[in-house]
Amino acid sequence: MLAKYLVRRLLASVIVVLGVTLLTLLLMDRTRGTYVPGIDLNPNLRPEDIARLRANLGLDRPFYMWYLTWIWNVAHGDFGRSMIDGSPVLSHILDRLPNTLELTGTAIILGVLLSIPLGVIGALRRGSKTDHALTVVSVAGFAVPQFWLGLLLILLFSVTLEQHGLPWLPSSGAASAINGGDILDRLEHLIMPATVLSFFYLSLWSRFTRSSMLEVLSQDYIRTARAKGMSERRVVYLHGLRNALIPLITLIGLELPGLVSGGLVVEVVFGWPGIGKLAFERALQYDYSTVMGITFFATLLVVAGNLLADVLYAILDPRIRYA
Amino acid sequence: MSLLPAPEVEAPISTFEGEGSRPAQSYWNESWQRLRDNRIGMAAGILILILAAISLAAPLFTQFVTHYEPYRLDLLATFQPPGHAHLLGTDELGRDTLTRLIYGGRVTLGVAFLTVGISLTLGTSVGLVTGYYGGWIDDILMRLVDVVLSIPAIFLFILMSILFRPNPVTLAMIIASVGWGGVARLVRGEVLSVKQRDFIMATRSIGARDVRLIVRHLLPNVLPVLIVAASLGVGQIILIEAALDFLGLGIQPPTASWGNMLTNAESYFFHSTWLVYFPGITIFITVLASNLFGNAIRDAFDPRLKTH
Repeated sequence: MLAKYLVRRLLASVIVVLGVTLLTLLLMDRTRGTYVPGIDLNPNLRPEDIARLRANLGLDRPFYMWYLTWIWNVAHGDFGRSMIDGSPVLSHILDRLPNTLELTGTAIILGVLLSIPLGVIGALRRGSKTDHALTVVSVAGFAVPQFWLGLLLILLFSVTLEQHGLPWLPSSGAASAINGGDILDRLEHLIMPATVLSFFYLSLWSRFTRSSMLEVLSQDYIRTARAKGMSERRVVYLHGLRNALIPLITLIGLELPGLVSGGLVVEVVFGWPGIGKLAFERALQYDYSTVMGITFFATLLVVAGNLLADVLYAILDPRIRYA
Repeated sequence: MSLLPAPEVEAPISTFEGEGSRPAQSYWNESWQRLRDNRIGMAAGILILILAAISLAAPLFTQFVTHYEPYRLDLLATFQPPGHAHLLGTDELGRDTLTRLIYGGRVTLGVAFLTVGISLTLGTSVGLVTGYYGGWIDDILMRLVDVVLSIPAIFLFILMSILFRPNPVTLAMIIASVGWGGVARLVRGEVLSVKQRDFIMATRSIGARDVRLIVRHLLPNVLPVLIVAASLGVGQIILIEAALDFLGLGIQPPTASWGNMLTNAESYFFHSTWLVYFPGITIFITVLASNLFGNAIRDAFDPRLKTH
């Protein structure tokens, strides 16, 4: 049963991924006709040179051939070359990946660790001052622009503290260029961007935990557990929280692609040398092939994340049928 | 969106014995009353209306209140702090911040509402057709939705904004190109369940054609879901748009938008912090009001979804 479900979901994912490549390459096709590699470096290229260069890169082929070649190459791990510096796109991505994972991974872990207890507190003390305060914080978290929150933190913790001669936090990069790179230095750089990013996850997941918890606590089996004299603590944590967390796991699973794409704006604000910042910088330089490669790479992760969330959900909640 | 009375919608209040003291009301009346009783929600809604009115009347406002043109440079009055001459100060080119915020509101709110409009129109059409007809058209269109929703939105926005150099209208289309997918899924789900009800069978049996069934009977029944989706979407769209503008991938200067007024924020850190505060606060308050109003709408129109 599960195996059959898995195979079907996997097949559907493959179709979606192929669809994504087709869609993005159709978008890219708009620029393919006019692209001449190296025209910036040598404006004196003769027309026959241009034709030869374009032929070498396969840019003169019809769309379907170009598309099939691209798929073939990607299937073999070749994402093409950057239009700016000619280096392989994949190596750019892999260079930046650890930095991005460090930032978003920290933010997601922080978000989970903080949001679950806060959500539970909100549900158990529903209507109390604590609950209201938590609600206000998470409503604010939904409404504040991430990039602006980042700017405010920089203004306060980097600029203002430095102006007053107090210890301050570095505002840019993942490590200091000089004498940097040890754990303490990286942590110092990580604090602000990770805070901004996890604030968003915190708002999202603590609200969700709270309402999921309230929902579960109103179920019959909770009343039964209470009626048979189980201690409140066991009712809440053993029966309540365990069931309340099931939908949260799906939600977090759906956020896994955010490991790569979720931090883009924050990476730009804090000059964090990650994949998002790479995509952004290359976009401004019209480096289509790099942006394309990153988009495709991130899409793969989305599809994998969705698949994982579905499967986890099906395993954790026996009520779900593999239909 | 007009709130036409929809005769097919069953009024949630039944007239059983015991509830006879209240007269049966239409769904819309009932929802409107629930909305009116939500004080925070109503306040948020009114705030949105005020912001929209100020944006619409921007030329009047700048003529009679701020007395500055949004694009007129005054290089003798750069980085003026907030004060009598410039209520919210000036930027690096001596342009009046309040004036630019008001004109930026036109762009930002305009793009947000246009985006919602496009996503709803496209998503609803696709959802109605796929849900009603099913079959191969459903398979194809819903796979397309899967594809669109699988690409991380921010990368798709970036890719498209370098390909299409956005102005307000194309920017709305770019953001809507992702948004319609979610709407389509939502509407399709509703249609699948409404389709099973008896009145659809009855309508069909007296000879109503597909188009009439879809437009007159299915659409009014998915309207509540649409209204909720629209009102909850506005805030998110404003945030997305502001972020794209901030990154320089959205509305291009010199056209002012709340996002692109913050693009150079770092260069103001040391002497002109009001240029960092005001656009951000404006975005924050607008999105906050949109979200609170959206929640109120959701609680009023779709009580099933009400969170505790």
